[in-house]
Formats: sequence, C-alpha cells, structure tokens
Amino acid sequence: MIAYKFLRADGTGVFTRHPWPRPANGTPGAWVEAPLVPCRSGIHACRLADLPLWLGRDLYEVELGGEIAEERTKVVASRGRLLRRIDAWDDAARDAYTRDCADRAHALVRAAGPAFAEWDAVVEPSTAEGPALLGFVAARIAEERDGVEAYHAERARQVAWLAERLGL
Amino acid sequence: MADLHSDQHVSCQEVVELVSDYLEGALTPDEAALFEQHLNFCDGCDWYVDQLRTTIATVGRIEQEEVPPAMRQKLLTAFRDRGRS
Repeated sequence: MIAYKFLRADGTGVFTRHPWPRPANGTPGAWVEAPLVPCRSGIHACRLADLPLWLGRDLYEVELGGEIAEERTKVVASRGRLLRRIDAWDDAARDAYTRDCADRAHALVRAAGPAFAEWDAVVEPSTAEGPALLGFVAARIAEERDGVEAYHAERARQVAWLAERLGL
Repeated sequence: MADLHSDQHVSCQEVVELVSDYLEGALTPDEAALFEQHLNFCDGCDWYVDQLRTTIATVGRIEQEEVPPAMRQKLLTAFRDRGRS
C-alpha cells in the first residue's frame, strides 16, 4: 500500500523521533519494521484524505507492507519504507496553503455575520503557527457555523488543494 | 475567545486532562489520534507533553540513594505537610 508520512526536518518521526532511513539518489530508504499496535507501535502513515490532519515539515511517499490496519484518520502497518520525498511540499507550498486556509477562514466568518466576529480575531495570529493550525481553524469555523458535516467538507476542500498543488 | 472544541478534536484543556493516559498508552487508538493531531498544530501543548516526557524519563533514572539526605528529608516533610493542609 502506498501512503504518506510527515517527518521532522532532520528525518525523524514527528512523535516517536525515530530516525527514518531516507531515500537517496532515487533509491528507497531501508525497510523499518515494528509490531503493529495502533498508536503504540508500528509504522504510522496517512492516506491522501488524512493529510490535512497531520501536516508537518517534510512529506514522504511511503510503502507499507506486512500487516496493515486502516484507522479512522491514519494507517498503521508492521513495516514500511520511504520511497521519495515529495519536494513540492516546500516553504512556498506551506505558506500558500496557510494563506489559502486563512483566506477561507475569513470568508467563512464574513458570510456568517457579526456573531462570528470573535472567530476572525483567531485567524491572522494563527498564521505564524503554520499550515496545520490554519487548516484546523478554517475547518473549526466551518463546523461552528454549519455543523460537523461542514467541518468534514472543509477538510475535503483542503485535501483537494493539497492533491492539486502536490500532484498527488 | 472562540471555543476550539468539538467531537472532531480535543482542546488544550483536554490535552492536560488526558496527558497521563496518553503517556501510559491508555487512550483508545481514536483518542490517541485526536490527541496527536492536536499536538501537531499546537506548539504549546506539544512542548508541555515533551516536558512531561523528559521529566518522567529523568525522574525514572534517579535512584533513591542518589538523593542527598538533607534533600530527602526536605521532600518528605513537604509531602507530609501537603497531606495535612
């Protein structure tokens, strides 16, 4: 199964700090193996539809193998290896995504009327924190305005943005 | 301040309430995923959890014999007094 994985800039896992063998010169990184126990052990990755929930510094395409469990917002496998770094997820893309989500959040607030004015104040200060937070803020405003389906619709819009920009 | 909580995610307050269960691996997979999604975008909570993890690791390495007797007595007294108040 092909999925995606965000890593820190130094190539370590966001939560585990595991140093991942990275692909080089077109050759995938070495396989990493771990017993599959969701959220405790295993190779954690995400599907295209999960990307906005896990946005991080560097994005890789990862091949998963062995036992695979598909969770609500992620995939866990007993083995995986990094196939390639998705270079399109660079500073410019991160900034553009952040701006897009901020603009979207402002638009949602404007359309909602004065009762949502306090939400507008959250948007611009959050931009410094980067794309993951702004995606959340936009989706959260949509949810507050129109319910949980609007939250998911906003997340779906973010997925489409990422898929187009990154060529996924 | 706008309320950032709903069933699709956890708030900073909930991170504080759930952090022990998270570090002990006692959350369900879905709960743990929501917890980590919050850490992913909230630098403050990420730092908080990281500090707790570091503290637990550090304290876990200290043997009882490594605590100087005066400090040990001071700590015992402080804990006894805390129990009385």
